[in-house]
Amino acid sequence: MKKRSHKTYWIGFCVVVALLAAAPLALPDFWRRFLTEILIWGLLAMSSDLLVGYTGMLSFGHSAFFGLGMYGAAAALLTVSPPNLWLAVGCGLVGAAGVALFAAYFSTRLRDIYFAITTLIFSQIFYVIIFTWTDVTGGENGLTFRRPPLSIPWIYATPFTNETLHWFVLAVVTASYLILRRITQSPFGMVLQSIRENENRTRAVGYPVERYKVVAVMLSGLFAGLAGVLYAIQNRFAAPDFVYFLVSGETVIFNVMGGIGTLIGPIVGAGFFLLLRETLSRFFTEYYLIPVGMMFIAMVIFMPQGLLGFARNWLNR
Amino acid sequence: MSAPQPSAEALVSVSNIHTHYGKSHILHGVTLHVGAGEVVGLLGRNGVGKSTTLKTIMGLAQPSQGEVKFAGRAVTGLPAHKLARLGMGYVPEDRRIFRFLTVMENLRTGLDRRGVTAQRKQELLDKVFAYFPVLAERRHQPGGTLSGGEQQMLAIARAMMLEPRIILLDEPTEGLMPRMVSQIAQIIGALHRDGVAILLVEQNVPLTLQASERIYIMEKGMVRHHCAASDINVNDEAIRQYLGV
Amino acid sequence: MSAILEIFAAIPYDQVLIQTVNGIVTGMILALVASGLTLIFGIMDVVNFAHGELFMLGAYIGVVVLATTGSFWLALLIATLIVALLGAALQIVTLRPLLGRDPLTTILATFGVSLVLQNYALWQFGPVARKIQEPITGSFQLLYLEYPWYRLLIAALSAAIIGALWLFLKFGTWGIWIRAATQDRVMAQAMGIPVPWVHTGVFAIGAGMAAASGVLFGPLVGVTHAMGLDWVLKAFIVVVVGGMGNLGGSIAAAVFISLLEAYASIWVSPAQAVIVSFVVLILTLLIRPTGLFVPTPK
Repeated sequence: MKKRSHKTYWIGFCVVVALLAAAPLALPDFWRRFLTEILIWGLLAMSSDLLVGYTGMLSFGHSAFFGLGMYGAAAALLTVSPPNLWLAVGCGLVGAAGVALFAAYFSTRLRDIYFAITTLIFSQIFYVIIFTWTDVTGGENGLTFRRPPLSIPWIYATPFTNETLHWFVLAVVTASYLILRRITQSPFGMVLQSIRENENRTRAVGYPVERYKVVAVMLSGLFAGLAGVLYAIQNRFAAPDFVYFLVSGETVIFNVMGGIGTLIGPIVGAGFFLLLRETLSRFFTEYYLIPVGMMFIAMVIFMPQGLLGFARNWLNR
Repeated sequence: MSAPQPSAEALVSVSNIHTHYGKSHILHGVTLHVGAGEVVGLLGRNGVGKSTTLKTIMGLAQPSQGEVKFAGRAVTGLPAHKLARLGMGYVPEDRRIFRFLTVMENLRTGLDRRGVTAQRKQELLDKVFAYFPVLAERRHQPGGTLSGGEQQMLAIARAMMLEPRIILLDEPTEGLMPRMVSQIAQIIGALHRDGVAILLVEQNVPLTLQASERIYIMEKGMVRHHCAASDINVNDEAIRQYLGV
Repeated sequence: MSAILEIFAAIPYDQVLIQTVNGIVTGMILALVASGLTLIFGIMDVVNFAHGELFMLGAYIGVVVLATTGSFWLALLIATLIVALLGAALQIVTLRPLLGRDPLTTILATFGVSLVLQNYALWQFGPVARKIQEPITGSFQLLYLEYPWYRLLIAALSAAIIGALWLFLKFGTWGIWIRAATQDRVMAQAMGIPVPWVHTGVFAIGAGMAAASGVLFGPLVGVTHAMGLDWVLKAFIVVVVGGMGNLGGSIAAAVFISLLEAYASIWVSPAQAVIVSFVVLILTLLIRPTGLFVPTPK
């Protein structure tokens, strides 16, 4: 039984990835781009799920990691010529990891809501710095740059097309998902989950809980930064709006809507949210957040396990 | 076993309640009753569900099955504050004094109700201060600064502010000095004379036998033995087993 | 020695004086916002993410009432009452069902409320900032500045409202109920205190206080739909620095942080001066995570 569900899982996984890979060939340009964005936001949501779903820490500051990923990539692309994809990825990750370490060091001293508030305030610190440090960050206008070519270092380089960009994003997100899944199933991930279940007991058993939390925040920040890099490459700009709290808020919405603690759920949530935004903004224009907000509240109250959990319960019934 | 049946005029009657805390099943069908003005003792070892029985009666724990009746009315599932207003007083095991409220404010939590005249309030206060003169002395002191015995008195006095028809007393003598213990016994007697029913949970078996009219003995979440207090023979091997004395 | 004297000589005392007054004025408003937030947190473990939006909504209702009646004081009163009622309704609809669930779910629910309220305000009032006319326009000479009396009036009014709250909590029956429920929710209920309604009442009081501060603060800056986030962030900082759920600590922290920000704005732009309060927060977390303004817990 166990073995079979394992097999079903991998078959399902391959089918979904294959569908996502084939999609740009069939979809019109708008929806292809839309799908690429869902994957990127899904990666951001998945990164925060490592904290909220597996460690029980609600982060309201993921925009800082995402934004620093963007600005890190921008720095690499603007200073090094010719622009190099892997250098951008590297710099973005370094930027996000730096912020994550800083935020993690302070905020993991606190639990629950205190942690949530502190992460929110940290992301605002970076927002203010980026917004006001116009000489370096371009301030309100942000930075624009050219997209680097898709390259395998020293071997091969070709400019991104719409399709190859989608495949590149898909490859990165799929790899990230597999890595995150591996992490959550590793002994390290088990400790994180036991922190979520009972922090004091985990500490009493002898695990250095604070250190585990710092590493969890770091890892989560790294993947969020990676999402930021992808977004920067896709859109060829870095802007302070993406460091702003709203992005963190949306990340939380993705998680809650999709279902925390599942990794896949947040991606589903991101897709659901973006589709909702797309549909509802036809009727409500920019005020689509009014109905979405109400739906979000209703889901917090009545569907705490999110769409994926709801679907799973429904299927198992 | 000649268990007296619940009489028609039972003030509180509990039938077949099951209560869970999370996944653990604590009460497995407890049935008991307390008549108006009656003092009933609830004995048993630690962890058999005595406190949970009181909490379930008080509406602080919700039973998954069974029924609680108060003064002939089904009150199962009613929130605690409504039961308190109906005339059910609760003195919990750990006393749970409002530590940062003064003695007077602690009393006011029960006293400031609709329909209580200023004169009636004064009478109630005079009455508890007559029972517990030390509380009058310390009326402006925060509850947290009182000694253990004084806190116990305050907890009882606070419940009396509700003018209850029954008080659920959970281990009132726990951790008290012998002098205080006898004072608690006197208070139980005085409440009894005033016509207040008492459901008393105690580890102190002699005190319970002396104060109560009837006794229930619990084991593993169920009532195992029920008789008049005078019928209990503490030297009976079965009773010793139940009580762990 | 001369170096120290030079430093002292370099301090612009005139500006320091002006910023002290400014800092106290904003500090009192912030204290009003934060005391509602900390009251709500203290009694029901709810971090009200929508607190800034209640502030904003109060200011907008103030704008509307002022435009129709012409009376600032009526606007203050009506905005406070309407938002208090709205707060009660929000508590019943969104927070009551979450009682007994993970406290984190309450932050999510109130975050959802803040999204809805903020976008509602944008929809209703548009993106252009509205202005509230101050009720008194006189000013007095503070060094070389014409300092408006209104600012001092705000500080005094905020202090008065906080004082009234304190008296209410200290002596009123509801005050005793609130404090009892804060200390021991279960025992309060067993004493006949209708704790669910006390929660609703407290949320309404906190919401009303946020609205009152919104109206009072309206004349100093424009009223916009996005003004809430800045305030809720600052109020969060104040509440953490002051010690969660501690009213006195919040007030002290509000004035302390506002003063620091005011002094910092002598040298840097106000947008950057915000960083000062962030730094205070970080230092607090490092040194005394339980809050700067509370006695060490025993």
